[in-house]
Amino acid sequence: MKPFKFISATNPGEAIDMLSNNAEAAFLGGGTNILDLMKEHVALPNEIIDIGNLKLQEIKATATGFSLGALAKNTETANHSLIRSNLPMLSKAILAGASAQIRNMATNGGNLLQRTRCSYFYDISMPCNKRMPGSGCSALEGFNRMHAIFGWTENCVAVYPSDMAVALSALNATVKVQNNNAERYIPFKDFHLLPGNHPEKDNSLTHSELVTAIEIPKNNFAANSAYVKVRDRSSYAFALVSVAAGLNLKGNVIQFANIAMGGVAHKPWRALKAEQFLKGKPATTANFLKAAEAEMVAAKALSHNKFKIEMGRKTLVNALELALKG
Amino acid sequence: MEDSKKSIGKGIDRIDGILKITGKATYATDYPAKNMAYAVLFKSTIAAGQIKSINSTEAERYPGILKIITHENAPKLNTKGGLRGGALLQGPEITFHGQHIGIVVAETFEQATAAAHLIKIEYNQKEEKIDFEKLAQTPIMPKGKELADLVRGAGKLAMETAEVKVEELYETPIEHHHPMEPHSTMAVWEGDKLILYNGSQIINGAQTAAAATLNMKPEQVRIISPFIGGGFGSKGGQWANLVLTAVAAKMVGRPVKLALTRQQMFNSVGMRQRNMQKLSIGATKEGKLIALAHETISHTAVDDEYIEPCGDCTKIMYEVPNSLISYRVVPMNLILPTYTRGPGKSTGSFALESAMDELAYKLNMDPIELRIKNEPSKDPSNGKPWSSRTTVKCLKEGAKAFGWEKRKSKPGTNKIGDDLVGYGVACGTYPARQRDSSAIIKLSLRNKLVYATVEIAASDLGTGTNTILAQTAADGLGLPIAQINVKLGDSELPPAAGSVGSVGASSFANAVNDACIKITDELLAKSGKQFFVRPTAAQLMVSESITDFQTRSDSKAPAEAEKYSAHSFNANFAEVRINSITGMIKVTRFLAVTGAGKILNPKTARSQIIGGNVWGIGMALTEESIIDPRYGNFATRSFADYHVPTNLDIGRLDAMFINEKDLIPNKMGVKGIGEVGIVGVAAAVANAVFNATGKRVRSLPITPDKLL
Repeated sequence: MKPFKFISATNPGEAIDMLSNNAEAAFLGGGTNILDLMKEHVALPNEIIDIGNLKLQEIKATATGFSLGALAKNTETANHSLIRSNLPMLSKAILAGASAQIRNMATNGGNLLQRTRCSYFYDISMPCNKRMPGSGCSALEGFNRMHAIFGWTENCVAVYPSDMAVALSALNATVKVQNNNAERYIPFKDFHLLPGNHPEKDNSLTHSELVTAIEIPKNNFAANSAYVKVRDRSSYAFALVSVAAGLNLKGNVIQFANIAMGGVAHKPWRALKAEQFLKGKPATTANFLKAAEAEMVAAKALSHNKFKIEMGRKTLVNALELALKG
Repeated sequence: MEDSKKSIGKGIDRIDGILKITGKATYATDYPAKNMAYAVLFKSTIAAGQIKSINSTEAERYPGILKIITHENAPKLNTKGGLRGGALLQGPEITFHGQHIGIVVAETFEQATAAAHLIKIEYNQKEEKIDFEKLAQTPIMPKGKELADLVRGAGKLAMETAEVKVEELYETPIEHHHPMEPHSTMAVWEGDKLILYNGSQIINGAQTAAAATLNMKPEQVRIISPFIGGGFGSKGGQWANLVLTAVAAKMVGRPVKLALTRQQMFNSVGMRQRNMQKLSIGATKEGKLIALAHETISHTAVDDEYIEPCGDCTKIMYEVPNSLISYRVVPMNLILPTYTRGPGKSTGSFALESAMDELAYKLNMDPIELRIKNEPSKDPSNGKPWSSRTTVKCLKEGAKAFGWEKRKSKPGTNKIGDDLVGYGVACGTYPARQRDSSAIIKLSLRNKLVYATVEIAASDLGTGTNTILAQTAADGLGLPIAQINVKLGDSELPPAAGSVGSVGASSFANAVNDACIKITDELLAKSGKQFFVRPTAAQLMVSESITDFQTRSDSKAPAEAEKYSAHSFNANFAEVRINSITGMIKVTRFLAVTGAGKILNPKTARSQIIGGNVWGIGMALTEESIIDPRYGNFATRSFADYHVPTNLDIGRLDAMFINEKDLIPNKMGVKGIGEVGIVGVAAAVANAVFNATGKRVRSLPITPDKLL
């Protein structure tokens, strides 16, 4: 690990000042990803700003929905009665991620900011545009079984690893961000980025910004939602494919469906084509299948992940069936 | 002694359990030393070629750096001293990606790690030999004599006359040992004597290899290894890190600690090699085998050979008049493969026992019935009688306990909701051997109580060796366990075999048992008295008021054992549940029935067996290391990429032992359980997957994508 200075912030303003003053500084939340990246020499901050003392742990109902403190732990969030009863999809998604030990340490804000687990990104002897812009993408023609089928470019085929964020995407969450002067709200669809020509940039935060909360609007998905994750083992494995689905039903007719996929793209992949197809249609297996097929049309496999297209289709249908069953 | 009073055969708790759970057990790097320095290895980032230049100027200026050691300043070592895997910094040649090319020694581990990143290396790269699939088209004959083609009867030609045939290719990937304790060494020089604290499965082997490599005499090197955090074969032979730590300590004139990182473990301490196994079975319509061929292609290092013997089970499992076992090999720019739990047998049994299941299906016969039908009355490979063989018992008792009759013979017909349920069975075997070992017993009488110390340079991998030795001594001397102190894991103790190849328990326990008999005989002689009932050593110490007494015994396998074929046998039963939509698999129940002679401690034995089962389930479902053929490195390089099973993947595990008394392989009738626990496991799971889904997966691991 490269030596670094360790400082602690007592309030958000101070934390942001500290970060603004040093382009090579990084925040420390739960530390479940940044420390790994530092040990592997992937992240090389010269200063670590501990934000653990900031009062950003609250999970609460608001006038318009729910607010998750950026520093609330994943475990606490998933098990919170408000979340379990109102947003079961989110609770399930969080519990499908990582391991119990990691969830106990990981913060909600940190979860959003975790970096890809592409093994070439982690191996500093390999080219990687995300780690070292311009060096090339090793995964494009390498071992890319875990990699993207949507939205990738020749610059980067990595996937974003979070489960929690897949549910947040389906739930139309907003990320509340504070910077030197003001607060701003970033709609979830704009928070994480596709790789384009700048895979080094995972999200739309600027260096001097701090995520303070995640806000989720009220919804009626509690009775008809699901999170399905397919992975190589039952715990502590990233998704091959995952699907978060919520149905808003009137009788058997889908008023609207919110669907997001994980393990398939550089960001939580909102299945807009499937959603569009399902709008106003009866909730039947036949329609679920057509919706999934409509979504998967745009999928483009790499050499080792062709299975993700079929798996994505099946998992999408499965998630919708489970959501319908409630 | 009455059985009820004996300690052997009781499932007592480990005598070191409290030490371990309270963190007081001392592993290699847990020892304190004054003025300690820390070493970190740096590794090549090419797979083949030469180091052109090493620029360490910047690293040398880094705070706390004591020494940077590369082939340019390393002392000359004996590369044929018995260490495995090369990488001893003896020249600029690179033969695999991740080869050690230098050591940074610093005041702290962090300084050494940070400075290692500042070293700039230039290479002259050669084209690497790494693409196994391509190279496997043109393999060569291995050098090892035991790997020569073994043909019986008409060999594979007899396949032509078979009425029913299975001819399939089975593939198993590279796997890693990954013991919980990474390979770690602490080296302390005392004049021209060297102490190496190092987890070693073979204490005397580590001593002789380290001494020979360092051009020293064995008595100048002491290995201390009382506790080992697992090894699974990777701490059997020793690797460069052992000696490089000593080199570093010598060069800085201070004690040095060196611990491999988990990432470095992937390419520093061997691995299980990838195997392509062609299995051919020919049978009559009634299910009698008439031909059996097992042809394996593996890879090895470019400058050394290790091949796991995949055909070993096939040699002895079934009665068949015509057979062929063959090995071919591909030298590759990859670290030398090495012994990995159930070497050859675990991977070989996947091919053999999958093929037997395929044959049973073709014959429309129960797979248990097929196996029993082809049970050999003597060892088919050498004609020797079995010392005992429990395969049929394991199958029959296991079938009853597992509820085999509930298995649906038609695949894909057992459905619960979205889940498919399947049952699978597979057999396994592993040789039972005793190796030369010596033990000293020291008795003392203090305040009317007799205490015993057992000394033996055995090793305890974490399996409970010192507990079974305490039990053996307790019974042999007539003492309670609490009055016995077992000293092992030190090369200054009487020499012993290693905890490898399932020889540990039989070799160590027989040595201790022999020493108990000998010390009792000697005390009897010393007393000069005649007894109607033979007294125990403890009783004699008291009755004769002897304060201190000791003896040493040097034990060997009985000569008679050579005339027989002695093995442990098992039958494995798996129940899997597979989500028919997502392809995710859970092993809901697993039962291993093992005939392994005398079970010294059923509790530690059960742990050994279910540990082997979990390994086998990992082999079946999750474990795989992938090489990127463009670079020759592993694309799987952490536990996030290299998956071992988690608790959630596995349901109930049960271990049953066949009650057998077989005193032919050794006096205590101990056959060994460390290896056999994994043999046949992967096939049982794969066969259950077929039974559940109708899909035959012949390439491990069986990940969800293969079941779509």
